[in-house]
Amino acid sequence: MARAQRQPKRHSLVWLQGLACGALAALVPSLALMVGILLGPGLVTLVLDQEPTKPVARAVLLCGVAAIVDPIRQLWSAGHGLEASLALAGDLRVVGAAWSAAAAGWLLAELAPVVVRVVLEAGGRARAVQLRAARARLAEQWGLPAGEG
Amino acid sequence: MALPPESRLFAEQFAIELDSPLLGAAGELTAYAATDRRAGAPDLMAIAVPHRIPARSRALQLLEGPQPGLLGPLGHGVGPAPNDEAAYYVVTQRPPGPSLAETLRPWSETALIELVLRPVAHVLERLQAIGVTHRGIRLNNVFQARDGHPVILGQAWATPPAMLQPALYEPPYSAMCLPAGRGEGTIADDVYALGALLVVLSLGQVPAVASDDTAMLRRKIEVGSFHAIAGDSRLPPAIADLARGMLAEDPDHRPTPALLLDPSAARGRRVAARPPRRAQRPFHLAGMSVWDTRTLAFAMAMQPEQGLQAMVSGTVTQWLRRGLGDAGMGSRLDEMMRHRVGDGAAERGADAFAVMRMVVMLDPLAPLCWRGIALWPDGLGAALAAAIGVDSHAMARLDEIVATEAIASWAMLRQDHCDYGLLRMEARQHRALVQIRGPAGGLLRLAYTLCPLLPCGSPLVAARSPVGAADMPPALERAAKTVDIKTPPVDAHIAAFLAARSERRLEAETNGLVGNGDENGVALARLRLLAQLQLRYYQKPLPALCAWVGSHCQPLIDSWQNRPRRAALETKLKDLTAAGFLPPIVGLFEDAAARAEDALGAQQAALAVAQIDVELAQIAAAGEERAMTARRIGQEIAAGAGLLALASVLAMTAFG
Repeated sequence: MARAQRQPKRHSLVWLQGLACGALAALVPSLALMVGILLGPGLVTLVLDQEPTKPVARAVLLCGVAAIVDPIRQLWSAGHGLEASLALAGDLRVVGAAWSAAAAGWLLAELAPVVVRVVLEAGGRARAVQLRAARARLAEQWGLPAGEG
Repeated sequence: MALPPESRLFAEQFAIELDSPLLGAAGELTAYAATDRRAGAPDLMAIAVPHRIPARSRALQLLEGPQPGLLGPLGHGVGPAPNDEAAYYVVTQRPPGPSLAETLRPWSETALIELVLRPVAHVLERLQAIGVTHRGIRLNNVFQARDGHPVILGQAWATPPAMLQPALYEPPYSAMCLPAGRGEGTIADDVYALGALLVVLSLGQVPAVASDDTAMLRRKIEVGSFHAIAGDSRLPPAIADLARGMLAEDPDHRPTPALLLDPSAARGRRVAARPPRRAQRPFHLAGMSVWDTRTLAFAMAMQPEQGLQAMVSGTVTQWLRRGLGDAGMGSRLDEMMRHRVGDGAAERGADAFAVMRMVVMLDPLAPLCWRGIALWPDGLGAALAAAIGVDSHAMARLDEIVATEAIASWAMLRQDHCDYGLLRMEARQHRALVQIRGPAGGLLRLAYTLCPLLPCGSPLVAARSPVGAADMPPALERAAKTVDIKTPPVDAHIAAFLAARSERRLEAETNGLVGNGDENGVALARLRLLAQLQLRYYQKPLPALCAWVGSHCQPLIDSWQNRPRRAALETKLKDLTAAGFLPPIVGLFEDAAARAEDALGAQQAALAVAQIDVELAQIAAAGEERAMTARRIGQEIAAGAGLLALASVLAMTAFG
């Protein structure tokens, strides 16, 4: 029984991600350097996000990746050398855009639950008001005890 | 003053002049001058029946029209009374002159025989033929137009038989009873009263001892009626002989009225009555000197506790055996006492039964004696009527008599002197009536059943003196105009009265008043009763009664659960009460389909409210869950937005 109740074993993909990162750094070090700098906030978030599904890091990384597509294309066009990589990584506009996108992703991940909660609470309150009105109507009509409010 | 329908005919026929009271014309009762409008007879009198006292229905039924030598009833019914009230009246002719009490003097033997004995004997003979007794022959109720004219008997119909008779004129077996419980008696009791009257008139004075009824009665028991009344006075021999026979203790030994018409024959009649065995020395019981079984029975009847004590201690049987020499009687009493012990305490009133049986065994002529009171069985109704609300002591004892069917037990012991079968059946019927639960049963019901002319004693309608069921609706209508509206319109008196008078027609409605604590059931039964009363007996608007009843319908309205329906009912009730008819009001509350619909609706509403409460509780408790959901959805939205941004950028990069 104890064996039957045991949770199925989850296989970690961290080693695969490490392998991919290592391969990228070995094969295209310029690209790896630039991506590492531009996706720095996302990688930090990935470390800091303690939730199993890493929801905040996911949003930050996705937004950050969307922002570095163009610099990657430019790097590739410029021959994907280390100088070009450092030049792009040192370009304040490129870094600012990438990090701003990451910040936007973080902000979205933080604000969206709040907004959704507000919406859900409003819906619940509206339903409660509707139910209370119906209850008061029935209580008045049939002389039933009034609710607690 | 609006009179009830049954009384309207009486009121139309007789005009009662309330401002002309006739003092002394009806003995102690109030009488007014009256005239017969139809017959044009001006010299009548209307005797007011005292409150809560029944008139003699049997005599009023059997005696019709003027009776020579007697103030016979000419009519009876409800008429106007002082203070704008109503009273029950018996109308008779007016006395032709003063009562003999007002002109009391010694009468000669001839005058007594020609002017008193013969005329009264004629009347008694006629009454006997009709099957009625007078029971009111006394000095102040016998009248004479002028000297030399025959006397005329006064009225005796407005009260129960012999109720107003002093002990002087009543046989001891009647005088010892409750005044209202003396029963119809027999014509021999009238002969006795006539004998007493002859002695008084012959003496020209009332014996001094007669001023105290108890002393008079005791004297009669101790020395016999004739000696008690005549004392040591010398009477004319003929009168003495006649009176001695007329005052015999055993009614069977008294001359009949027919015999009295021939005084010489009556005088010569000698009844060979065996004199009672008398002891050499008296036995003292309850302050009385007991010389024979008759005085012993009387002492035990009047002081039952002391009598029983003496019996239990064996003093009585010892005296019977040694003092009186009646060993047989002593053995019979001993045997009876052993039965009493055998019955044990389980039998209700075992002691009272024992004394009652002892009295009957000692003196079979005695009336029913029960714990210090005595009555004749046919006087039960009037005794009850007189005791209700006045004499709780007598009421308690009468209640026991009915509950234990003591009358049947009493009759069983003296079957030679009464109709045992009839009395046993009546006792059972009485008990059944008393055992009816609720206000439609009990002693009130019995009293109203036994006394058909007893007006309803409810304080609500007593001023209108309703005697029949048809009299009740207008009486209640009248009461509704003055009564405190919070008072229920049907009290115990009215319920018992209607149950007794409606002859089973309103039985279902009156039985519904039991209620079993169900206020709505009682209110509906009351409403139904009054509605049926109006429907059956008085089909005219009764707006005040309807308003009164309507004000007591709130519990019925409140029994409906749907509030809008309640409001509609209240509006409709107002309209119906204004119309003055009760049956539609009953219909308002007896709609079974609507009741079922209301109950179902209430059930469904309660269910819906329960569901709403559950849902509200769920909403209140789901705050944390909503927060988690919001967090999950928000994060998905953020991821989705990031993915969308990435896809857009890739698409733009790929396509240009």
